[in-house]
Amino acid sequence: ARDSENCSEEHEEDSDGEEEEEDNVADVATTKFILQCPFTGALKWKEDLQQKATEAFLRQQEAVPNLRKLVYGSDDSENEDEELGGLFRVSRLQTSNKFEANALDCSHFKPDISHCWDSEEMLNSIRDCFVTGKWDDNQ
Amino acid sequence: MASHGLVYDGCNSFRQRLVLSTLSGKRVKIKGIRSRDDDPGLRDFEASFIRLMDKVTNGSRIEINQTGTVLFYQPGLLCGGSVEHDCNTQRSIGYYLEALLMLAPFMKAPLKATLRGVTNDPLDPTVDLLKTTALPLMKKFGVDGERFDLKVRMGLGMAPGGGGEVVFSCPVRGTIRPVQLTEPGKIKRIRGVAYSVRVSPQMANRLVESARSVLNQFLPDIYIHTDHMKGANSGKSPGFGLILVAETVDGFSLGAEMSSTPQGQGEPMLPEDLGRNCAKLLLEEVYRGGCVDSSNQSLALLLMTLGQQDVSKVLLGPLSPYTIKFLRHIRDFFQIMFKMEVQKPSEDDRIGGDKVLMTCVGVGYTNINKTLK
Repeated sequence: ARDSENCSEEHEEDSDGEEEEEDNVADVATTKFILQCPFTGALKWKEDLQQKATEAFLRQQEAVPNLRKLVYGSDDSENEDEELGGLFRVSRLQTSNKFEANALDCSHFKPDISHCWDSEEMLNSIRDCFVTGKWDDNQ
Repeated sequence: MASHGLVYDGCNSFRQRLVLSTLSGKRVKIKGIRSRDDDPGLRDFEASFIRLMDKVTNGSRIEINQTGTVLFYQPGLLCGGSVEHDCNTQRSIGYYLEALLMLAPFMKAPLKATLRGVTNDPLDPTVDLLKTTALPLMKKFGVDGERFDLKVRMGLGMAPGGGGEVVFSCPVRGTIRPVQLTEPGKIKRIRGVAYSVRVSPQMANRLVESARSVLNQFLPDIYIHTDHMKGANSGKSPGFGLILVAETVDGFSLGAEMSSTPQGQGEPMLPEDLGRNCAKLLLEEVYRGGCVDSSNQSLALLLMTLGQQDVSKVLLGPLSPYTIKFLRHIRDFFQIMFKMEVQKPSEDDRIGGDKVLMTCVGVGYTNINKTLK
């Protein structure tokens, strides 16, 4: 609690300038020490939080349609001889794979049921696929 | 490991594995085929498919264990020529044809396959759909000629009885042409076939009416042919269905189809519902877009892989689960990985969903079976 008190005091004092009473100077010195000390780093991670979050979000957005990873997977997952504690071996790697192993061999792509083709909005979304739709200038 | 070539678990993507094994010459072993099932091992339709593979190749070695849960396949040379096959009626002829389409250009002699069985069922692409979508696609890759044809000879055979006969003939090619199919173009017309077999001919008309009611909001140029079969050339079972194909100005076609539930299996369907649902399925296919429809994606990707050593590009809609499995198998058998770029249409473009541009360099596959003249 004392630390946070010091922080607020320090801001006021910075704006007010250097002409302060003697007894306050010691307090200011300690807060400055906490803020600048490289070893504690207690408040360092709070810097530019918003900017960091934005960057992380954008990075993730770019990664989502990474089809190559979705299709081919990463090579690390193919490590089959993994032993646990040098004694046990993972006998069943993924239960979902077992389930899919004998799936039906059929080339049909079942339609996404979330698309409702009765709504005007959905119909409008493909209008320009037809010759009756809008044409580009170069076509 | 080495003596068995590639090893897989389970019978999913059964056709992909055998087809790619035959084309690449790599042995394949499939184990654990329904090993935990009450009725373990290969099904009759898979056995029938293996027999068909044996007929079109020369010198293949096929070993199946006693319970049918392990299959070892060492491919021979694709010989082609005249082949007759009675397809098992558990799956329709489309199941067998999809594999034959992939193999046919690489035979020693031009293939002329006569297949008998079920021509139309709800599960696999029908013969008419393959004729109107897969054949034009293969023509883009340079597989073309007078004798490139797929036709229903003896009338339709609906599931479950079957009784149809189909003739597929395909010329051989030494190499496959690399392609750049990046602009699908706009859809100029919609064609279709409504068929009714051993039911009232009025069914086909009802199908056409309901499908048109949905599609006429977009295009005036819609023509749906009605086909009524009765008597000797109508197979053994009744049924009806609809095939719709949207053709673009640049000569690409996107297809959708629906077929009535086979007699004695599940709820019967009203032709009005079926027609409307099929039309919506076609709109879904248009929404996905690209130059190739969802059921032919793997055929296009295979021909890209086997092309000459040059860059091929094809614009596809979202990849179907079947296609994703196919891409993984292409990596296993041919060591080719595709470059995939997502293309998001801009806000004011009303051209459906995200597209994927697939790019690869072909392996420079040459047809070693083809005799030089």
